[in-house]
Amino acid sequence: MENNKIVLKGRSGIKGIAEGEALVCKESIQGWAGVDDKTGVIIEKGHSEEGKSIDGKILILPCSKGSNGWSCHFNSAQVNGIKPAGWIFTKLDSRAGVAAVVLDIPTVSDFDEEIDLFDIIETGDLIKVDGDTGNVEITKKKAMAKA
Amino acid sequence: MVKLTQYEQEMLNGDFGRFKQKAIDNIIKYAEALGAEELCEVSKATIYLGAHPYLEAADSDDYNKIFSKMYMCTYEVIEVEKFSEGCFCQTCVAPCSQHEFEPLGLTEEFFDKNNEFLNITKEAGVSITGTCTPYLTGWIPLMGEHFVTTESSNVLFSNAVFGACGNSDGIEAAAWSGICGRTPKWGNHIMENRKGTHVFEINCQSDTAVDWDVIGYTVGRLLPPHAIPVISGNFKRPDLIRLKQCFAALATTSGGEMCHVVGITPEAVTLEMALGGNEPKEVFDISQQEYDKSMEMLCDKGNGDVDFIVLGCPHYTLEELRDTANYIKGKKVKDGVFLNIWTDYSTKAMAEENGYLKDIEDAGGHLLTSGCPLVIGYKCHETATGMVMDGAKQAHYIRSETTVPVYYGDMEKCIDSAVSGKWEA
Repeated sequence: MENNKIVLKGRSGIKGIAEGEALVCKESIQGWAGVDDKTGVIIEKGHSEEGKSIDGKILILPCSKGSNGWSCHFNSAQVNGIKPAGWIFTKLDSRAGVAAVVLDIPTVSDFDEEIDLFDIIETGDLIKVDGDTGNVEITKKKAMAKA
Repeated sequence: MVKLTQYEQEMLNGDFGRFKQKAIDNIIKYAEALGAEELCEVSKATIYLGAHPYLEAADSDDYNKIFSKMYMCTYEVIEVEKFSEGCFCQTCVAPCSQHEFEPLGLTEEFFDKNNEFLNITKEAGVSITGTCTPYLTGWIPLMGEHFVTTESSNVLFSNAVFGACGNSDGIEAAAWSGICGRTPKWGNHIMENRKGTHVFEINCQSDTAVDWDVIGYTVGRLLPPHAIPVISGNFKRPDLIRLKQCFAALATTSGGEMCHVVGITPEAVTLEMALGGNEPKEVFDISQQEYDKSMEMLCDKGNGDVDFIVLGCPHYTLEELRDTANYIKGKKVKDGVFLNIWTDYSTKAMAEENGYLKDIEDAGGHLLTSGCPLVIGYKCHETATGMVMDGAKQAHYIRSETTVPVYYGDMEKCIDSAVSGKWEA
């Protein structure tokens, strides 16, 4: 394994392979007033990634958050042409499961308890989500810069 | 691989039409995403229908196109047909009352569109009830019965109080389940998964509906992801109204789906039973300081002029309407103040029968049905200069739609402010 690459194994949720930059949301994203449906920009007040767009990114999330309408806001954004390329969840919950089906994007979840995605992955790292095998390949941005 | 019964396989093959075929196809994908091995039969559903503002993304007035894109998640246009025969479906809250639009600042065109959409789904088998408290209208799943609902507080209420089984799936999946009568057998649908994991010792005031609203808000603030709270300790016995408030607030600050209240909810006769014989992962102290911290988050500081007063989040029961009528009788809401009180149609009809509606209207209040300011959106409060509400959920979320002061307190304090036009801390 190259020194700037890490491979994690999770459970495959939605099949397919996606690559993109990580957008790490340790506090998840709230459904209601979380993402602007028209721009894909995170509008949740005080969110660590407030002002950044989810479009084309690989979202790194612990779980869903808040209202039962979690999936429908991602769906609205999708109908407006905006969606993440893929996403990984520490542990999948029902709201996130519905959203994964609604967006139909590669989804990997349910990592071993000792794996802390938020220790390993930073926003901007290059992530390959393999929804067929459950593998997640992380290329660290910082290590790459050194190389 | 999800194991299907013969009936489910036939539905997936398209034997019962494209509408049901697409619905069960989505439910199977949802089951696969969750890692569920089979489906279970759903016999009660509440579904988020009507002309909700988020549906505007579909950019169409053709309901079949809107439904296909926004609920069925396909660009194929699938005609809306009959929902499941085995599952009683009713509507959740809608973005306009069935009977009036003017007090809410909405147009007749929008009112007509909302009714048109609701009538299409009514013909397909979804009764119009327009409420976030379906259990007040007779929608009551019993212990072990599988339900879906689009109202987060109802997920908690039906799991916790009735011992029924449901997850917080989401708007699309609730529709799929209502159509095909199935949901993944996963999460709260499996009894072993419903045991409490974290204990919350109540050491704060717990007398009133507002107290339980604030307790729910506080437990939710502290609840870790995927945890199941057990409310324990030295609390005053809550009734249906207090739990209604508690669970609405808990589902606002957390993703909670199941909650045990020791000595009150059926799977928590004792603390040991609630925890399933396991040690709690963590014990939290809900102190008066934590309560006060939540109250500071919900209610802006100081005094101020107010003109938009909201009661009934979640929708008021007949008992709450009686108490409101008794308190407001003989008083007069100040000119320019909009006092809007929310309930469901059946409860409003009973309030009318008992004279409560007249007392409220004589005082200048409006008793409205179907939705609430949050569901309707900013259009109904865009001219407000100061707001007062008695529901923590409403007071929390409305802040993302307004910049004016938001005050929070009990029904009597809210009505006092409607009469004087002032909030006094």
